[in-house]
Amino acid sequence: MLELLPHLLHQALFGALAAAGFGVLFNFGFRALPWCAAAGALALAVRTIGQDLAWSLEGASFAAAIVTSCSVSALRKQLGPACNAVALAGCIPMVPGAFFGQALLGFLSVTAPNLVDAEATLIIAVQSLLRVIFTLGAIGAGLLIPAHLLRNQDF
Amino acid sequence: MEQQQDPVIVRHRELERIANMALRAGRIMMECGASVSVVHGGVGMIARGFGVEDVGMRSGYASLEITVHAGGNTITRMMQVGRLGVNHRLDQAVRKLAVQVSHGGMSVDEVEAEIGRLVRETPRHPAWVVAVAVGIACASFGRLLGVDWAAFAAVLVAGTVGQYMRHQLLHHGVNVFIVAGLIAFLSATLGGIGSTLLNSDTVSLAMMASILLLVPGVPSTNAQTDIMDGYPTMGSARAVWVLMIMVFASVGVWFAEALLGLRSL
Repeated sequence: MLELLPHLLHQALFGALAAAGFGVLFNFGFRALPWCAAAGALALAVRTIGQDLAWSLEGASFAAAIVTSCSVSALRKQLGPACNAVALAGCIPMVPGAFFGQALLGFLSVTAPNLVDAEATLIIAVQSLLRVIFTLGAIGAGLLIPAHLLRNQDF
Repeated sequence: MEQQQDPVIVRHRELERIANMALRAGRIMMECGASVSVVHGGVGMIARGFGVEDVGMRSGYASLEITVHAGGNTITRMMQVGRLGVNHRLDQAVRKLAVQVSHGGMSVDEVEAEIGRLVRETPRHPAWVVAVAVGIACASFGRLLGVDWAAFAAVLVAGTVGQYMRHQLLHHGVNVFIVAGLIAFLSATLGGIGSTLLNSDTVSLAMMASILLLVPGVPSTNAQTDIMDGYPTMGSARAVWVLMIMVFASVGVWFAEALLGLRSL
């Protein structure tokens, strides 16, 4: 387990940076940005542990979103109604944008003239698209279920 | 003169002001990235804070409609909604105002003035700060995807330039989908050229990481939230919007890869 620690810390660090960077884009205040970074670090740490345990990307993302949403909900007194938004910012680094791009580029490739291995290209594109759909669904459900069950206030 | 003193007309005018002001608050929340249930909740709180007995709402992707009923009078009004983005601080400020209004004690003029003040004075990070932050975020995404350190620097620059140009283009009113295509082409080209010059072994990944600023994470989550909250029409509209953005972004990457000789047109 100790040999996995550098990789875990690497993923958590860059998860934190990605979440904080998008927090700035979403106009979070400077006081909320460290919470976004912490949520991003937690989400990526949990997802990395899950994947190291040979879980699928979708399963690990679901677990990470649930843990992040529950943890942020526990800080409702400090964060107020913004807690759901902080959890969402923390999970942004898990959004499979690269797979989405790969899927669409794959579909574009299938229509190209003189395609050599159309079946393989199509299967990779479909796999990527399905991965996007299931991972986005896992993140969304992981964020929403605790927020609904714990009755997080929107106002 | 006679018409102005008609109590029904006077009450209709009052209801109209309440409806329009509540819709304005809802429009701001919607444009700032709130889900439909939050928008409906906020608008309802504001309207009821002025004594409205029943509130009915319908949300489309580009408009909001409200029907308010009080004292035997009912009116329906509609308002256009602009481009949907994300502005956390303004969203939270309007939600706070909705809570304040729901407790009563504020006049319509006061609430309208307060909404105007929030729109004018809620702080935003400077464009260059956002650009650098997004560049760092893209480079971090790149590391999570597995780009090497040489490509990290290239993605950081490509993401920063891409975000700054996106801000400028959107500010000048260019269509959001065209912006997605142009920025994907620009960022992917910069990321590809930069990582090649820096002898990276992960040029294709760097090009993909450079365009991750375009991935609409909040709208895609909101799409799901809206569907789960019972607003499948709005959720579907958001999902289609997300898909279209990604199609344009992918075409931009496609052309960038063709330009750099990584793919044939």
